Amino acid sequence: MKKVGEVVLLWLLILFIQNAAGEGYSPPGKPTNISCRSPEKETFTCWWKPGSDGGLPTTYALYYRKEGSQRVFECPDYKTAGKNSCFFSKNVTFVWVNYNITVVATNSRGRAFSDPVDIDVVYIVKPNPPEEVVVNVTEDKDWPFLQVSWKPPKMADTRSGWITLFYEVRLKLENKNKWEEVSAGQRKTLQIYSLRSGGTYEVQVRCKPDHGFWSEWSPSSRVKVPEYFPQERSMWILIVVFAAFILVIFIWMVYMNFHSVKRYLLPPVPGPKIKGIDKQLLKSGKSEDIFSSLVVSDFPPTTSNYEDFLVQYLEVYVPEERELIMDEGKDLQDDSFKTENSTCDNDSGRGSCDSHTLLTDKGGGDKEDGQQSDQEGSQAEADTKSQEEALEEELLACSHENLQSSNISNEKEKVKSWPSLFSPLPQYSLSPVNRPNPPKTGQQHCLSDSLFTPNSMPSYFTQPGPSTRKGFRSNYWECSFDHKQSHPLHPQSAAHEHLQAQNDLNTAHVDYMGAPLDVHVLNVRPSEYVEVQRVSVEDGVLLHPISPSQEDSRTLSHQTEDYSRVRMVNNDNGLLLLQRDAIEEEKSMCPYQEDVVSRASITPTLQNSVTGINTALPILDEMAASGYIDTATMFGLPTH
Amino acid sequence: PSRRTEILNMHLEPQRNVVYLVAMCRAVPVNDLLDRASQRSDKMHSLSTLLTQEMDSHFPPYGRMQMPRPADCHTSALQTPNDKEQALQVSESDLMSLARSLLQAWVDPLAVLSTSAITLPHPSKSSISSKIQELQEHSKSLGDGLDILSGKMGPSAQAISFLPYTGGTDLGQDRVTILNKFNFLLSCLRRDSHKIDSFLKVLRCRAAKLQPELC
Repeated sequence: MKKVGEVVLLWLLILFIQNAAGEGYSPPGKPTNISCRSPEKETFTCWWKPGSDGGLPTTYALYYRKEGSQRVFECPDYKTAGKNSCFFSKNVTFVWVNYNITVVATNSRGRAFSDPVDIDVVYIVKPNPPEEVVVNVTEDKDWPFLQVSWKPPKMADTRSGWITLFYEVRLKLENKNKWEEVSAGQRKTLQIYSLRSGGTYEVQVRCKPDHGFWSEWSPSSRVKVPEYFPQERSMWILIVVFAAFILVIFIWMVYMNFHSVKRYLLPPVPGPKIKGIDKQLLKSGKSEDIFSSLVVSDFPPTTSNYEDFLVQYLEVYVPEERELIMDEGKDLQDDSFKTENSTCDNDSGRGSCDSHTLLTDKGGGDKEDGQQSDQEGSQAEADTKSQEEALEEELLACSHENLQSSNISNEKEKVKSWPSLFSPLPQYSLSPVNRPNPPKTGQQHCLSDSLFTPNSMPSYFTQPGPSTRKGFRSNYWECSFDHKQSHPLHPQSAAHEHLQAQNDLNTAHVDYMGAPLDVHVLNVRPSEYVEVQRVSVEDGVLLHPISPSQEDSRTLSHQTEDYSRVRMVNNDNGLLLLQRDAIEEEKSMCPYQEDVVSRASITPTLQNSVTGINTALPILDEMAASGYIDTATMFGLPTH
Repeated sequence: PSRRTEILNMHLEPQRNVVYLVAMCRAVPVNDLLDRASQRSDKMHSLSTLLTQEMDSHFPPYGRMQMPRPADCHTSALQTPNDKEQALQVSESDLMSLARSLLQAWVDPLAVLSTSAITLPHPSKSSISSKIQELQEHSKSLGDGLDILSGKMGPSAQAISFLPYTGGTDLGQDRVTILNKFNFLLSCLRRDSHKIDSFLKVLRCRAAKLQPELC
């Protein structure tokens, strides 16, 4: 046991001794990171980073060699620059000379050499920070700015030009983190503007040689900027000025558009517009007078006023392609009214002009008046138009009431077509009238019994199928045209005209037709009449010219070649016109039934003979001006 | 004044400058001329520094361990001040002469460097080549300007020490040799351009009696 213990002790002792011998006893580590700097190009300092010391006191030595010489020198000053440094004074410092520097670490166990480093003093210049940095706030109270000035580092000789320094200033608000850097070139002063009112700034300056490294930043100089302008107030001033400017512009705009704005905000209220009520009387407030005009004298309404009250709608056939709708048609008429008629009351607002009934009323009145003046031979364009438009209105009104028995769409189409016939607006032409979709719905004159002239009244409703002239007439549209009208008229419109002028012309007009009427265009010499003999479902229409006397339907024979009879309207909007002889022959027949027969017979053929007919209506348009249709010259088609 | 600007333009021919000199009757602002000259030399030295850095970025370090001994530069024969005291004791004319001599000594080597840079076995040879060409231009214009300046400073300023370049047009055969030679030449150029720049800046501050704020 003791032996074992001794052996163990021996081993431990040996180990201990060995450890004690090896611990810290090693050569020093290699010094690294040798860097040298010269602050003024006259001296320089080198620093190194020592390696491990190997557990023993290690000394460091710096040796250098100058280029072109093998002589080795040791660092003259290890103390001035601090630990692990070597300071080269002016005496040993040479410019434009390469130094080869090596640091050697030595301890009792050995020595270690660092890697050599080559330096040239002129390339390692890093000056000291600028000195005597002074920051002033100028006395200008409204717009203060900072005046920064400094001096170059003491050691750097800039006066002789040995060192050329460039400066840089940076500043920041005290509580912020972002520096703003400003270059100052070679100057030694700087002004800084755009300061925050009441802020505290930190200012620092640094410098750099022309070919070297930047110095460290100088210590911060603090300065406080006085309150010179409250920022909130400037913002408010800007906002107020801008708002005032906007307000001025707005007021000016309102002033310029005062009336339209007033109209938009306060739309005028339509005033009362009842025929017979005197507005002035209403204003004066005498109720008895006001109502008296309404009450007695005109009731029951006389013939002259019938159409004013009772003629409401007239169905009008138009092709489907017509883009206008019924309302639009009315609007167009309204527009035409407004543009050409100054009869809209301007004290009642728009309502008086737009009212449907008022329109017809006015149209009737105007037409009557116009008719009178026409007969006198004076031609007023406005009157013409008003009559035409009034016709349209009445026809429209009539068509409204009789919608139920007809194709609504077609009626609407027909309604649409009316303005095109009468209004002088260029966009309307006859061609739409004769589109491939002939109106299917019947055009029915909605004149009531009371509207008929005494002459014609009895014949209409008692004899639907007349073979007499009256019966004829009952089936006819009688179109009377104002001699001023120069474009082709719709037979219905013609009938309308006729209605207006019935006082003078004494012609039967309206027939309450259950069958749909075809629309066709007829060119007639002014003051001459064409009678629509029939409107058929198969789009056949017979036009029968009638003489002014209306007593003899056969008087057509002594009518001149001015008249043609529209035999039929094709689906393709063809219009077949018969010559006079044919017309006469047809007239001899019982008009109603004959027409039925002839229509039935003709209709199929019509559908076949299309070629020339399709162009009939356009040609009719052209011929409208002359007012004549001469079938012989119109087309080369053989007539039936 | 336009005339001064004309003089400062280093590209002018001497005859034209003489005409301008004769035309002007007032004192020539030499400090202004020196300011321009020193700016040009500053640019030259910056270019050469960039060149050496660009070379070192890709150059195998072992080639640099043998420090290209600057004592072997073809301009080492020229005696130049080694510290500030010596430099400040040199006269203006001598400083100008030194600057002009150094500048003249690099005309031929720059041409050699320019032709060698095109085929230099180095990844940045195009950039290096363009910088060398720029160096040549600056050198030419600075030389013209210094010629004019020295004409104002007297005959001793116009003396140029002849420092011929004897390295030949061929830098070597193998890549290492070529790159070593190139690097060596660039280091010599860097130092000499710094000398020129320093001399001119000392001259500038010596003449800046009217503008002391620059110095």
